[in-house]
Amino acid sequence: MKTVTIFLLLISGLAVGQTKISGRVTDVSGEPIPGANVLIKDSYDGDSSGLDGTFSFVTEERGVQTLVITFVGYKLFTQPVELTGTTLTIAAILKEEINQLDGVVISAGSFTAGEEKRRTILKPVDIAMTAGATADIAGALNTLPGTQKVGESGRLFVRGGDGSETRAFIDGLLVLNAYAPAAPNTPSRGRFLPFMFKGTSFSTGGYSAEYGQALSSALVLTSKDKATMNQTDIGLLSVGADVAHTQVWDRASLSGKVQYTNVQPYFGLINQRVDWKVAPEAFEGSAAYRQQVGKTGMLKFFGNFNQSSFSLFNHDILDPSQKQEFELTNRYRYANASYQQAISSAWTLRGGTSYNYYQNDVRVANNPMGETETGVHTKLVAEHSVSDQLEIRMGSEIIQRHYEAVRYNEGLGKSEQVSFNELLSATFTEAEYYLNSKIVAKAGGRFEYIQLNQSATLSPRLALAYKPGKQGQFSFAYGSFTQSAQNEYLRFNNQLKQETAQHVILNYQFTTDQKTFRIEAYHKAYRNLVKFSNANPLLISNQGKGNARGVEFFWRDSKSFKNVDYWLSYSFLDTKRLYLDYPISATPTFASAHNFSAVYKHFINKLKSQVGITYSFSSSRPYYNPNKPASQFHHDRTPAYHDLSANLAYLPKRNLIVYVSCTNLLGRNNIFGYQYSSSPNAQGQYESRAVRQAANRFAFVGVFITLSKNKSINQLPNL
Amino acid sequence: MKTINFFLALVISVGAFASDKYSEQMGKYIHAVYTAKTTEEYQSAINALDRIALAEKTKWEPYYYSAFGNIMLATQASEGSRKDSYLDLALIAIEKGKAIQANEAELVALEGFVHMIRVTVDPAARGPHYSGLAYQTYGMALGINPNNPRALALMAQMQFGTARFLGSSTTEACGLAKKALAQFDLHKTNNPLAPTWGREMTQELVKQCN
Repeated sequence: MKTVTIFLLLISGLAVGQTKISGRVTDVSGEPIPGANVLIKDSYDGDSSGLDGTFSFVTEERGVQTLVITFVGYKLFTQPVELTGTTLTIAAILKEEINQLDGVVISAGSFTAGEEKRRTILKPVDIAMTAGATADIAGALNTLPGTQKVGESGRLFVRGGDGSETRAFIDGLLVLNAYAPAAPNTPSRGRFLPFMFKGTSFSTGGYSAEYGQALSSALVLTSKDKATMNQTDIGLLSVGADVAHTQVWDRASLSGKVQYTNVQPYFGLINQRVDWKVAPEAFEGSAAYRQQVGKTGMLKFFGNFNQSSFSLFNHDILDPSQKQEFELTNRYRYANASYQQAISSAWTLRGGTSYNYYQNDVRVANNPMGETETGVHTKLVAEHSVSDQLEIRMGSEIIQRHYEAVRYNEGLGKSEQVSFNELLSATFTEAEYYLNSKIVAKAGGRFEYIQLNQSATLSPRLALAYKPGKQGQFSFAYGSFTQSAQNEYLRFNNQLKQETAQHVILNYQFTTDQKTFRIEAYHKAYRNLVKFSNANPLLISNQGKGNARGVEFFWRDSKSFKNVDYWLSYSFLDTKRLYLDYPISATPTFASAHNFSAVYKHFINKLKSQVGITYSFSSSRPYYNPNKPASQFHHDRTPAYHDLSANLAYLPKRNLIVYVSCTNLLGRNNIFGYQYSSSPNAQGQYESRAVRQAANRFAFVGVFITLSKNKSINQLPNL
Repeated sequence: MKTINFFLALVISVGAFASDKYSEQMGKYIHAVYTAKTTEEYQSAINALDRIALAEKTKWEPYYYSAFGNIMLATQASEGSRKDSYLDLALIAIEKGKAIQANEAELVALEGFVHMIRVTVDPAARGPHYSGLAYQTYGMALGINPNNPRALALMAQMQFGTARFLGSSTTEACGLAKKALAQFDLHKTNNPLAPTWGREMTQELVKQCN
């Protein structure tokens, strides 16, 4: 009897009572979702939804179970079901997950480049391989809208701002003096090579509250993570040589590089317009260490030192036989340590410290002058993901700067010293809220206090984006930005207030897989700019002001032509300032109304080569002819600027690259402005001299060899 | 006594039935994923494998084949962003599989395959990073099992592709491809659900070599 009971019990327990479950999976708007996975939790039973969203399956499970539906890009759907053998019909509505890759993002003012992100406009390899840029980050970014080509400087001049208004950040930490010193009228190069970075975000306005002390633009560079392979790289350049080595461990990597450059032999071949005594020579070294900590922690350390020097003769404009020796030695150190760790799935902490040191030793006719700046930036940021719709970021930072300058006082016949200490503390907070996949808003603010002159500023930031369709989106950004007056003014007047700029930006961007179109319009208002009283550079105040407005277009297409990638950018700028020694409100000498760039790259498989061509155009720039009255200040215009540059990377072997580049192929004699004699000649006229490139063209040849166990790795990315 | 015997017999048979069900169902869907042609066929097989993976919790094979299916979908997709999203899914499945079976050469080789397909989305921009990663990952798979035919075949494929791209000698790649082909015959495993794919692909490669 017992046996029978147990038997029956077991049988009933195992009795195969099947339940049929069918239904349809749709999104909120009722559109069917095909390919969704429909299942009974902890069982094999389930089905995939068909093209019309319907599904149907039979399960042998019984009792109360959980029906689960999953599909990429949608939130998990769960519903308790009671399986009794009666057929069930389910109408499942899946909600879209927010923050998806093809969802809305704020694009006003910013260009991002990275290997990982799909929607990036420029990739690191683009930066390295843009003709005319000679692998300089600023050089490549100068082909994007929002920048003005200032050929004699090489820096990033953004939307009517001068070169000092763009600030670079590495892993969130400030870089003071991001450019290496350059000979007169020669574009200076950035101190950091593009391929140290996995991501580059170039903002021409309206950037996050996390970044301060930049009036016009933030260049946010994210360094690479742990290296993956041991390798040694050797570069033989027409202007020097470098060698680098990377050693990789299980959870850490260390890379080091040393480089020596000397342009003396090159100048021996190509006639220069500069009367060199000693041509530029530089020695540089850098090291990067990466350590993974635990599951999510990453410690990064980067250090760089550089020493460069040159000397030349400046000739008098009135009497060119009169010359004065100018000698410069620059010593530079940069160190940056940063750490990032996810504390939980909702909290991430990151922070770090950067150390900046630079010293310019200058001798003019053997009289010592010079300046030294030391800066330490410390920052801590917490990111909190409250839900998939709301992200909050907050942080604090301290920037300490010490500046010291020695100048020669001709009246006293001896050197004088000026110096200041600036201690800046800042705190910022920002919230990003996704109403849905189409609308996102970001609001925040930044508070700064500067001990040097007890100035406190509060800078609000706001951005909105709306993506009505799959490919097009509108963005808006507003922000207030501040920056300390330049050292050369602050050293004479410590009480100078923060210079400010307000940005308003409207942007429309249309992106498909390999094509991008964008148009952006902006207005920018400058206040508290440094102004000289009675044209006396020692009597300075914050009475200066200015504004800038413009429209910009960008088009990139990597798809239409096989192996071809090209982009076009155009910027229109209308700007005026009343600052420094300006007697009237006028367009600054660095500003040109129209800037156009066309960048073309073609990979030719047969020749194992990539060819790049860049054409740049800048309309005329203003200058002041002192023979005219002050009412004609900046009324004269230089000729327009044209440049056609080309480069070629040839890969004859797997680990060998030959790289050749040349700027200004057409040999155009570009004039950037005019210098005038400091006193009039016998006829009472100020004589002029054109500011021109040191040589019309700059040609470069490099051979890059990579030694690693894996012979397929080459230095293409490092060019 | 009889009762107990019967009870035991039942329990054992139920247990055996359960494990058979895993093998039987896996066999069915492994076949489905190997023979799928359309996106729908792949998706349906992947979904079934995902269901098994979720229910089983201690088996790496369902994750392996789910990832394999997604890689196949990635190779079929024309748009770069589609490719990437399939590869993202494949990588998630591989990570879950590795959490169950850390030192499985098959899973590690498959991870290398994901990196290799990533390169095809944008060779110029991604080549340097992802081909490095693919080589490294294949190297790790071969470190676990130097004779794994798929790890060898994929490594050969990668070397061949790189050599072709740069127009250099394919001798090394072809040597490796031949070694891989030999290993498809020699490779033995006790796991009836272990992967078997790759032979044809390798034969094709060897043909290109000659």
